[in-house]
Amino acid sequence: MRKNRRTWSGWIALIPFFLFGIAFEIVPILLVLSSSLKSEEAWFTFANYRRAMAPLLARSFLNSIKLSAATASLGVLLGGLTGYAIYSSRNKLIRNVTIALADVATNFGGAPLAFAFIITLGSTGVVTLVLSQYFGISLYPTFRIYSIAGLVLAYLYFQMPLMVLLIQPSLHGLRREWKEAAINLGATNLQYWRRIALPILAPALIGGFLLLFANSFGAYATAWTLTGPDINLVTVQIAALVRGEVQLDPGTADAMATISLAIMAVCVAGYQWTHSRAQRWHR
Amino acid sequence: MDPFKGTAVAPMRRPSLWRFLLILFFLLYLLVPLLATTAFSFANRWDRSILPEGLTLDWWRAVTERRAFGAALKNTLSLSLSTMILSVLLVTPTAYWVHLRVPKAKPYVELLTILPFGIPGVVLALALIRTYARFGGNIIYSPFMLVLACMVISLPFVYRPIVSALNSVDIRALTEAAQTLGAGWFTILRRVIVPNIMPGILSGGLLVFSLVFVEFTLANLLVGPRFKTFPIYLVEFTRFDGRQASALAVMSFIIAWLTSLGLIWVAGRVGGDREEAIGAR
Repeated sequence: MRKNRRTWSGWIALIPFFLFGIAFEIVPILLVLSSSLKSEEAWFTFANYRRAMAPLLARSFLNSIKLSAATASLGVLLGGLTGYAIYSSRNKLIRNVTIALADVATNFGGAPLAFAFIITLGSTGVVTLVLSQYFGISLYPTFRIYSIAGLVLAYLYFQMPLMVLLIQPSLHGLRREWKEAAINLGATNLQYWRRIALPILAPALIGGFLLLFANSFGAYATAWTLTGPDINLVTVQIAALVRGEVQLDPGTADAMATISLAIMAVCVAGYQWTHSRAQRWHR
Repeated sequence: MDPFKGTAVAPMRRPSLWRFLLILFFLLYLLVPLLATTAFSFANRWDRSILPEGLTLDWWRAVTERRAFGAALKNTLSLSLSTMILSVLLVTPTAYWVHLRVPKAKPYVELLTILPFGIPGVVLALALIRTYARFGGNIIYSPFMLVLACMVISLPFVYRPIVSALNSVDIRALTEAAQTLGAGWFTILRRVIVPNIMPGILSGGLLVFSLVFVEFTLANLLVGPRFKTFPIYLVEFTRFDGRQASALAVMSFIIAWLTSLGLIWVAGRVGGDREEAIGAR
């Protein structure tokens, strides 16, 4: 009885935090979910979802999913390989500097990053000039930085380093003895990787993909600065609906937001699950 | 040992070309855009040749002399600092109390601190507007609401470092020792717990500061032109004056680097935990 009372008094001190969370996370999200299923005429309808699936908006989902899948798979591939190269590098200075750099870069983003890519790969950008004058490669007009391909390059700026950081704990979990044991039993390097290392790294790689996918799907500032309203992405469309630029149609915005939240929830929950699996091998 | 096998299996740490090339590519990818933007902000003409035709401070002078620049900088600094202070004030006592007294509440607290990862900025802005617009435009479209929204996206970044700092000290023993000496809860928290978990509070605070300093989405959708923050100012400039915009971008890079150096310094003092490094864009 007494213990029970003490627990209750313990919860009282948490009221400010829970009030904050309920008022600014739970209630707003639930409100969006519920009003996505309502309209002026009906208290339960899929009309908003039908409008959210109109060709223009459906294409925005397709574009966002394609962009996220592209930057997540390239990010996992390049970031994973670079992460391994850094992890297995003999030079301590190189390891520390690249990891510190990855730490900063993964938190870069938004307007300054987009602008730096215009300076670098725009039609008169530095790299564009170097490529055309020294290597005879003209990027323009086949490539444009203000396009989906340009966005992929800009997103990789924060996706690659994020993967480099995410894979490190799992790489450190790969024990030297396992490789030695495999080799003593007659395995080749390829067999070691295919049968031992990759299965152990798999949760971290899949989790990394999901997290990078979510990271890209929810991004708005970089895309908006780089391409403005020209590129049809989910976040750009929701932002336009919020600002009332297109038409005053909160129901459609709610439906689009709900679908986005569902996609994000799958990614974040999947990441959490793989993360706990990956941790089994951590030292 | 079979000599053939010896060649088939590479020694663990043989220096190799692919490793060198990958790391070089990675470093170039991360550094070239930054260096190019920095050089661009000091160059007087740079669209015809590989190297700029001359150096100048004109763009930096022009952009910093505007009155709107000072206002944007002041707005962003006050936004970042107030978000940082309020988040730390909200999360520190909560994390401490959960750790010490109500472990049962931990999953719920963690859920609320992980949730913001799954909410895209545009969706958070939409959800807040849909919830609070009914109370009038000067509540929802105000800098005050922007601080609250920034606190939401800051939660994961403040909570994690504080929790790992709490895990690294014996909070129960410290609390009981202080209680035996007759200290009240406020004194315990302020004089005993906070100094002991300071590295966690500092890393969390620095992360929030750098996050909010470049926050564009919420600022753009919640307050927009009425309360111009630094990133909003920067985006406006990219549309009409690239030179001055590049100076502003370099300033953002400097802020990001300074906070990162601060983080490395703090982490070096406690052996930081950087398992979760998830940017919010």
